[in-house]
Amino acid sequence: MNPDELEKRLERQPLRQVPSAWRDQILSAARQASRSEHAPRTTHHVGSRPSLLSTLHHQLSTLLWPHPVAWAGLAAVWVVILGVNLTTRDAAPLVARHSSPLSPQVFMAFQAQEQLLNELLGPPEASVADRPKPPLSQPRSEGRREMVMV
Amino acid sequence: MAQTDIERLYDEHAQAVFAFLLNFTRHEADTRDLLQELFVKLARRPELLGGVRDERAFLLRLAHNLALDLIRRRGTREKYHGQLAGEPAPIFTLAAEPDEGAFREALAAALGDIPAEQRAVVHLKLWEGLTFEQIAELLAIPLNTAASRYRYGLDKLRERLRPLYDEIK
Repeated sequence: MNPDELEKRLERQPLRQVPSAWRDQILSAARQASRSEHAPRTTHHVGSRPSLLSTLHHQLSTLLWPHPVAWAGLAAVWVVILGVNLTTRDAAPLVARHSSPLSPQVFMAFQAQEQLLNELLGPPEASVADRPKPPLSQPRSEGRREMVMV
Repeated sequence: MAQTDIERLYDEHAQAVFAFLLNFTRHEADTRDLLQELFVKLARRPELLGGVRDERAFLLRLAHNLALDLIRRRGTREKYHGQLAGEPAPIFTLAAEPDEGAFREALAAALGDIPAEQRAVVHLKLWEGLTFEQIAELLAIPLNTAASRYRYGLDKLRERLRPLYDEIK
C-alpha cells in the first residue's frame, strides 16, 4: 500500500455533519450565558474587571485542577501537622501553669519541715572552707631521714 | 459579543470543531456538551477572540483544551466508579456502497484504537489540512512531536486497514 495513496484515500472520507438541531440549542445557551454574564455587571459593578475573589478562584482552580487528589493529600498532611503542633504547644504551658503557683498551706508545711530539720541537726558546723588545712605531706625522702635519725 | 458574531462563528466553524471533537472523544453526547461549552465560553468572554488571527485554529485549540479537561475529569470518575464508555459514535457519513461502508467502519474502529494524541494530529492533518507547524502550535507541542505522532498514527492505521484496503482496491 503506497503511503500517499492511503493518505489521499483517508482524506476523501467524508466526516459526519453536525446535527442541525444543535445549532438553535447551542446558540440559545450562548445567548442566555451572555445575558446572565453582562446583566449583573451593569447593575452591581461599575467596572468590567473581574473581582479579586473570582480571579483568585480562577487562578487556584487552574493551579489545583490537574492533580486534585495530590493537592488534597498534601492539604490533609498539613492539617495533621498543624493539629499536632497545636496540641503539643498547648500542653507545655498547661504543665507550667499547674506547677508554678505555690499555695500558702504548702509553703507553711515546707517552712515547718525546714525548721524541724534545723532543730534535729543543730547549728551548722563550720564550713569546709573554714577548717584548718592539714599540713602538707612531706616528701618521702624527708620521712625516711627522720626515721634514720630516730 | 454581538449575537450575530456568535452565529457567524457557529456557521463558519462549528462543523470543523464538531468533527474534531467527535473524532477525539468518540462520544456524541460529550461532543455536544463540549461544543456548547465552547460557544457559551465565547459568549461570556468575547475578549478571548480579541487579536486572534486564525479563528478556526483558535476554536480548535479551545475545543482540544476543553476535551482534555473532560477526559481528565472522566478519568478520575471512571477510576472510582468503574464506568465504561458506551458505543463509539460514527464519525463518517454513511456510504451508499457496501465496500466503502466497510472501509469507513474499519477506519473508524482503527482510529478509535490509536491514542487520542495521535488521533488529534491525524485528524488535523488529514481532515483540516493543517501543516505540522500549525498542528504543533494548535496543540502546544513541539514540531517533531507532531510529525512523529502523525507517522506513528498513520502506521497503525495502515497496519489495521491493509487487508481490507488490498481487498477492495
